[in-house]
Amino acid sequence: MEFHAHVTAVLFGPSGHAAFALGDGTARFETGEVVQAHPDAAVLAAAPHPSGHGVITGGDDGRLVWSRAAEPPVELAAVAGGWIDAVATSAESGLIAFASGKRVEALDARDPLFRRAFPHERSVAGLAFDPKGRKLACATYGGATVWFARIADQKPQRFNWAGSHIGVAWSPDARFLITAMQENMLHGWRVADAKDMRMSGYAAKPRSIAFLSGGRLMATSGAEGAVVWPFRGANGPMGEQAAEVGHLEGTLVTCVAATPNGARLAAGTNAGRVWFADVDGNRLAEVRAEGAAVSALAITPDGRRLAWGDEDGNADVVDL
Amino acid sequence: MSQASPIPVTVLTGYLGAGKTTLLNRILTEDHGKRYAVIVNEFGEIGIDNDLVVGADEEVFEMNNGCVCCTVRGDLIRVLSGLMKRKGGFDAIVVETTGLADPAPVAQTFFMDDEVKARTKLDSVTTVVDARHVTERIADSREAREQIAFADQIILNKTDLVSEAELEAVEARLRKLNPLAPIHRAQRSNVPLETVLGRGAFDLERIVDLQPEFLNPAHGEPGHVHDEHCGHDHHDHDHGHDHGHGGHAHEGAEDIRGISLSTERPIDGARFTRWIDKLLAEQGPDILRAKGIIDVAGEDKRLVFQAVHMILEGELQREWKPGEKRWSRAVFIGRNLDEAALREGFEACAA
Repeated sequence: MEFHAHVTAVLFGPSGHAAFALGDGTARFETGEVVQAHPDAAVLAAAPHPSGHGVITGGDDGRLVWSRAAEPPVELAAVAGGWIDAVATSAESGLIAFASGKRVEALDARDPLFRRAFPHERSVAGLAFDPKGRKLACATYGGATVWFARIADQKPQRFNWAGSHIGVAWSPDARFLITAMQENMLHGWRVADAKDMRMSGYAAKPRSIAFLSGGRLMATSGAEGAVVWPFRGANGPMGEQAAEVGHLEGTLVTCVAATPNGARLAAGTNAGRVWFADVDGNRLAEVRAEGAAVSALAITPDGRRLAWGDEDGNADVVDL
Repeated sequence: MSQASPIPVTVLTGYLGAGKTTLLNRILTEDHGKRYAVIVNEFGEIGIDNDLVVGADEEVFEMNNGCVCCTVRGDLIRVLSGLMKRKGGFDAIVVETTGLADPAPVAQTFFMDDEVKARTKLDSVTTVVDARHVTERIADSREAREQIAFADQIILNKTDLVSEAELEAVEARLRKLNPLAPIHRAQRSNVPLETVLGRGAFDLERIVDLQPEFLNPAHGEPGHVHDEHCGHDHHDHDHGHDHGHGGHAHEGAEDIRGISLSTERPIDGARFTRWIDKLLAEQGPDILRAKGIIDVAGEDKRLVFQAVHMILEGELQREWKPGEKRWSRAVFIGRNLDEAALREGFEACAA
């Protein structure tokens, strides 16, 4: 597929079909439908709708939009004069969160009247719901904040670490909170006691994070191969060595995707290479050899389908 | 791999009322057929078809555990990364800063962040000053002094509101703070687009010459910086005063000025590298800008460098042309600079 616009995100729906969100403001479905979600604007972030139907996109027009294959787009929220550049959703709780600068808000896919605001002093660059969809983690300057997403007035739990945190993820058992940092490293906290973990040695910002093997492994971008950290026992990756998969000198992995319960890991690089591997075996298969930098990557939970997109608008869905 | 050429970024500084917004509107309304993105800190009366105006928060933060010279603008990193996703891209990006902003974090963002560095390039830092009020601003505002000292070029605006004699005094004052930046006189910010955009001020390839004539007002003028071309001993002179206009501008201990160094003796490359590394490591926070062209002994190519605080970029550029006069010159603009020590250190690099 050639979309002629930056591929911001690709996601698989429960049907196993891929949806792409692009720099020309459209949401495009594998089945061919094109939804003009953000006319004359660009999609900056995307997440699946909690119902599993379609995608929710944030744009540089300050709008949060729900797009489905055969329906007109639905505007869920709008921020005057701002950009929406982080979006997170939870199928478990039905909640939708977005960030625009210092402003973070939560909506409920099933209750149009529900709305919560979580003010921050500095801009929020990344959002993630915990596995149950009740707590919302926000990556910001100086660490991460965690909010109970349904509660109106509260003080957030703060996880502090100096520096600018640009992305956030929860471990699947919700015991660890991981942030990507401006300074080419990951930071992490054990949620129970806020004990710090540092994962450094990256060549670039490790923005993309994916857990696999039932949460026993965490894969990230930011190096010449996909970096895989063991997450076992009470200490997570503390004191452990990371492994690198699919190392190719002179390139950088920009995106990773993995099967949450399987051992399949996929990665895309800044040189356009796309590959997948089973980390319990030795097999690594290349899906694309080279091209523009890979900017979006997804794999189905069963590991059978892979979708990727690049900065020039090339994209594909592959049966593995 | 797609290798789109980096998008040039122009940074516009200047205190409130100097004419930044007028200049921005001129850039945007001129019939140039180009597509610009403008990053502003607050939305004013701008916003032109085909161009994109984006708000930013001037969120400054320190990378690498609080090193002052690694201060960057976090909002810019995010906004630039977002702009890169837009279909069609942009011919240029203009960043307007608030009147009180320190330009260094903006400039450093383009050197410190790898992703920003890969997709954009800092074209120039242009400051707009108002001929009638700039002398007062220089006297009472550290930010105003720093914006002028940091700039690659200065738009001297509202020249119709002052006399020619006052203008010359103002220019002399500006040159003393910044001997490198050309001064463009303007009224209602009416400078040609090409004096602001496409300057390549940080492009080492474009640092082709640092002309002492251009660097220096004529000998005897207040902004004059002595070097060996004056043909007299400069160490006995006192350059601390400014006689160009009514009364002294009180600069206090934190005197910002430009110092021009040169030598006709070839330079020992290794010794020079050690010297400038040490200089920037020790005095980087006080050195706003530096540029130089060095004649390295035994090297056919010119060594060209530029620095913003501690961030140094240098490379061997083109070969010296046959018949071209081989000599080394460097200009440092900063606070609390010890001219004698700089000169001594520079001259001690001679091979």
